[in-house]
Amino acid sequence: MTATSPSPAGSTVSFDSASAPGGTLVRSSRGLALRGLRSIVRLPSAFLPAMMMPIVQAIAFSGTFFAITKIPGFPTDRSINWYLPLACCMGSGFSGVGMGFSTVRDLESGFFDRLRMAPSPPLSLILGPLLACWLRVMIVISTVLVVGFSFGARLTDGALGLVALYVAGLGVSTIAAGWGLGLAYVFGDMRAAALMQLTLFNALFLTNAQTPLFIMTGWLHEIARVNPFTNVLRLSRQGFLGEVTWGDTWGGLAAIVGLSAVTLWFARRGLDRLGD
Amino acid sequence: MSDPPLDFPITATGLVRHFGPENNRVKAVDGVDLHVSAGEIFGFLGPNGAGKSTTVRMLTTLLKPTAGSATVAGFDVVTQADRVRRSIGVALQDAAIDPLMTGNELLELQAVLYGIPAAAVRRRADELLERVGLTAAADRRVGTYSGGMRRRLDLALSLIHQPTVLFLDEPTTGLDPMSRITLWEEVRRLNREGTTVLLTTQYLEEADQLADRVAIIDNGVIVQQGTPTELKAAVGAPSLLVSVGLPGGAAQVTDVVRALDEQGVKIQHLELSEPSLDDVFAAATGHRLEGAGTGTEPATDHEGAPAVKRRGRR
Repeated sequence: MTATSPSPAGSTVSFDSASAPGGTLVRSSRGLALRGLRSIVRLPSAFLPAMMMPIVQAIAFSGTFFAITKIPGFPTDRSINWYLPLACCMGSGFSGVGMGFSTVRDLESGFFDRLRMAPSPPLSLILGPLLACWLRVMIVISTVLVVGFSFGARLTDGALGLVALYVAGLGVSTIAAGWGLGLAYVFGDMRAAALMQLTLFNALFLTNAQTPLFIMTGWLHEIARVNPFTNVLRLSRQGFLGEVTWGDTWGGLAAIVGLSAVTLWFARRGLDRLGD
Repeated sequence: MSDPPLDFPITATGLVRHFGPENNRVKAVDGVDLHVSAGEIFGFLGPNGAGKSTTVRMLTTLLKPTAGSATVAGFDVVTQADRVRRSIGVALQDAAIDPLMTGNELLELQAVLYGIPAAAVRRRADELLERVGLTAAADRRVGTYSGGMRRRLDLALSLIHQPTVLFLDEPTTGLDPMSRITLWEEVRRLNREGTTVLLTTQYLEEADQLADRVAIIDNGVIVQQGTPTELKAAVGAPSLLVSVGLPGGAAQVTDVVRALDEQGVKIQHLELSEPSLDDVFAAATGHRLEGAGTGTEPATDHEGAPAVKRRGRR
């Protein structure tokens, strides 16, 4: 039925009123991403911690553990070159789980019901926040880098090193967003928030986050060796420790693709089961 | 080209919804049958926890039924959920709207999610804002809106795609009397324009005022169904409620009763009402506070003397 006056829910705008066409994946995702970006400005208290935490971490770790560069074989003479990429990945991860927090808020307030009832592809409910998350990560990494450079960090492989760092950051945020959204859908309330942070924090720290693998021993070494995030951190640090090589890149990319696939599948499955 | 109009845009047969594990199962809805006719306002009346919202959540595809089946706009709510969503408008309980967004932004997002052509979005949003009287507040964040404004925006959001079937889940709960009446008028107007409305409410007066037919649900089961007139007639014959002022005070009750008795009026119920603060409020403002009595009869006469309310039959 084409709406002409009088029509159900009265309108003079003409479009098929008996059955809405439904939003496309691209348009719906863009609309939801825009909503996520607005919250950066309108709810800065939710965004600033993800920005401040890596800055504080980079400065504090590199200052406290500056002597780590004296260890024979340590790959750089600047401690901040070692810790800055870690801080960027941490900030990216927390930006990712931030999407989970936002979704928990929507679930608890009931706004998410309105989004679910819309005839747009369900995937847009994941892709939209993810796009917003990626933009937030770009802001976070760029800001942390500016602070890092002012504290003495130096690139060793120019633009390619920056690309590697941004790819790693975006990858970590994708993994974290999938995980955060999945937990939000499963729990539906703030119980999910603690799990999101705890698991991501542990996953990123049980790696070569603080020290290179070759000086680690015991169970921590074994876990860090097999932890896929070790490869992601290796990818992120290349441009600060030497040259970017395929050998130090492919493992990180594989980890990002694999873990992203798993966590985004977890999110999608949780979304599909919300009505069960 | 569209399908022919349906006789019953909303149907439910043996609809059941359980929550919780097997050993601690809660039956929220326990075999609901519904047939809502095209173009009617159907009232779903019941107390909190009766199963109204759970039924609506199943009919609007938010929740899968444990058993039974339902169709909305001719489509199965489980197997054709996407077709159902394209056809319905829903304003859920509590007007859950993102407080960080403005009314305009929310309408635009809703339009995008429903696939309204980009060229039509702005005009449709403006139309709806005007319709619900929010044009002036369109660029304000929703967090600054009053409860009534939120409800009206919620209604506007649910109308973005001109649905033929509209679900309103307790649309006036928590609203002041004026906002409630404004919303009632809008629901009536939508219905006149051809929209079928299923409205849940816990207010008897709301169901009586708005609904063509009413289903009363209690403990997940529909216990009565019919027009308000039919349902009221089934309970008993009408009675007359008269308020008599007692300028001489409560002692005059005896005189009133004696006079009625002499006239052969059988009194079923006699109640002495003293003036309340609500009467003071009503006298000062011209309207009553929300939730203060039924609001249909004064507890005092015009001079503020106590009144005897009697329901009798000759």
